[in-house]
Amino acid sequence: MTPDNLDDRLDAIYDAVLSYEGEITAQLVAAEIDAGTDIQVVLKDALIAAMDEVGDLFGEGQLFVPEMLMAAKTMKAGLEVLRPHLTDSGTKPIGTVVMGTVEQDLHDIGKNLVGMMLEGGGFKVVDLGVDVKPADFVAAAAEHGADVVGLSALLTTTVPNMKKTVEAFRAADYGGRIMVGGAPVTREFAHSIGADGFAGDAPGAVDLARRFVRND
Amino acid sequence: MGDRIETEPAKPIRRSRRERVAGATSAPAAPVVQAGDGGMAGVFRDAAAVRPGFFTLSDHKLDILRRKSIALLAEHGFTINHDGAVAQLVAAGARADGTRVRFPSELVEAALRETPRQATLYAKSDDPGLTLALPRADNTFHVRTGTGAHGFIDAESGAYRKLDRDDARTLARLADGLAEIGFIAHPFVNDVPTATADIHGLATVMTNAVKHAWIQPYSADNIGDLMHIAAAAAGGEAALRARPVASCIATSFTPLEIKQMDTEAIIQCARFGLPIHACSLPTAGGTAPVTVPGAVLMAAAEIVAMVTMAHVLGPGTPVIATPLMFTLDMRSGRSLQSSIEAIQAAAIAIQLMKRGFGLMTHTYGFGSDTPNADAQSQAERTLLGSTVALSGADILGGAGQLECATALSPLQLVIDNELAGMVRQSLHTPEVSDAALGWDDLLKVEPGGHFLAEAHTLAHCRDHFAPEAFARLGRDAYEESGRRDMMANARDICRQVLSRDPPPGLPDDDTRAEIAAIVAAADRRAAG
Repeated sequence: MTPDNLDDRLDAIYDAVLSYEGEITAQLVAAEIDAGTDIQVVLKDALIAAMDEVGDLFGEGQLFVPEMLMAAKTMKAGLEVLRPHLTDSGTKPIGTVVMGTVEQDLHDIGKNLVGMMLEGGGFKVVDLGVDVKPADFVAAAAEHGADVVGLSALLTTTVPNMKKTVEAFRAADYGGRIMVGGAPVTREFAHSIGADGFAGDAPGAVDLARRFVRND
Repeated sequence: MGDRIETEPAKPIRRSRRERVAGATSAPAAPVVQAGDGGMAGVFRDAAAVRPGFFTLSDHKLDILRRKSIALLAEHGFTINHDGAVAQLVAAGARADGTRVRFPSELVEAALRETPRQATLYAKSDDPGLTLALPRADNTFHVRTGTGAHGFIDAESGAYRKLDRDDARTLARLADGLAEIGFIAHPFVNDVPTATADIHGLATVMTNAVKHAWIQPYSADNIGDLMHIAAAAAGGEAALRARPVASCIATSFTPLEIKQMDTEAIIQCARFGLPIHACSLPTAGGTAPVTVPGAVLMAAAEIVAMVTMAHVLGPGTPVIATPLMFTLDMRSGRSLQSSIEAIQAAAIAIQLMKRGFGLMTHTYGFGSDTPNADAQSQAERTLLGSTVALSGADILGGAGQLECATALSPLQLVIDNELAGMVRQSLHTPEVSDAALGWDDLLKVEPGGHFLAEAHTLAHCRDHFAPEAFARLGRDAYEESGRRDMMANARDICRQVLSRDPPPGLPDDDTRAEIAAIVAAADRRAAG
């Protein structure tokens, strides 16, 4: 039986995401759309709130990576139902992030996880994939009006390509912010190559992207 | 194909939607570092598999050691300083020349055949999870805390002091709250009359912990009181016999002698129904031959002598073979518990007692020769614990001990609790089935693909051992945390466990009063 109270129904969506129940999440979101509930409220107070909780639980060590991924997939199931209505209602994403793994690096697990969490956090994500040349990053950022660019690398040998990519952005006078991440990347390295920030994990990347968009 | 063992994964403690929307983002009640069981039982375990292990010596060489140890008892004999015991042994077929008793091989073999191969060590609580079956059902091991240490390393300050009753209380409560610790030995408490330190120590453990207790008498006069404390804690002598909440050590006096006290311990254990840990502590190059096999032979002969004594003096009493191997540092004359030779000797001794004699086995699985819970301590005890666990030990003793078993550290105890969980996990033989292999996912993985998002990974991502003290931070997180390391986590765990309410099953006020009366009477007797 569907609760009358909106708070209770939003709780149900939140709980469904945290229980990895994709079909139920999609159904509940669809029900809210049919009921005329404010799309923003469903997005922010149920779906994004659930993903924020996922991020915090991961940071606390209570949730593991596969569980975080599953939660993100579940949230996405609800977001896909919501998406056509977001455009109609004029709701904009929090920001646009263009991301990819740097040139000569083919690893993407971490990047994909960050991408899913950024979507879960309300961002529009343009994923350029792997082995992305600096020029292609710059072009994509311009094309999509990226507020934030995310660079990922797993190999010590490809990390220098992060620096090349950052330099390419600076040469192109890019006005957004650049964040970097990946196993061999440290905060110190990020600073040394002129990146605007470093994220050690996916929830950290979401927090950082939010701060960038808010101009913190 | 073995049985699959299913357990419920720990559920996250999370904030509600309303709390989040209202702005609550701070961690919920549970702290980041939780003192829990630290690991998973693990699905896909092949419970029917033989326990993984390695074998240092061939069956042929083990057989030589077996035959030599029995021959040593027949030819050299064992000095037994207890007239009554000697008489009974002679009546059973042994030959005595004063206190030197020679055991004919037939008597020894009969003892080995008839000594129980199983025992149960009970807790004072009804919790079946605290009952220790020997051998253990999952074919791994139980863990015992260090015994007899007289020094204590403060968990907060790191300072060393003479161990007192407060420290003994701390260790008992901590050990009671650490999931891998099976039973608890009493340390040597210094703030009581020396003559009754064992009685005070046991009383402290019995009244502050529900887990099974290990008794180590320091004098023959005290054995009766120690047994009566155990009986009081169990609810009477009949209750103690039915469910022994304590077991007791009987130690040889190497080389090839047993004191009156330890003979009396065997007799009283039989009378009260307590399992005996027949312990030999040879020091290679000191009280035993300097070579590893020579020291092992010494331990085997002494333990088998005690098994034979228990068979004659208390038939049917379970005896657990407990070789505790040391070497003498030839440069300094100090005894070493964790030299590589001592570790190898322990491994061979366990293999011999288990495969050669078919006995339940117990040895040090933890401990180091350094005074502090430092890097050397962790290296030594990991070498030791892994080696003896893979050798088949049923009990790994010495959790928390340092400086060749003379000091106890709460932080080391917490770390040993974690090491025990890891070593135990390493002994679990995985099932090899399509489901365990993730065969379906393997067949469909694409180039450049991964398994992180597969349902199989989600279903089993918590099967891996989850350490609570061991730190797994990257460099940046480590610096941001203020260089938080394993010791800091261990300190947090220690504080959390000690802050918990006592578990159910501790002695009630009447029992405590009864135990206190036994202690007081012992003190008056000792004071003369």
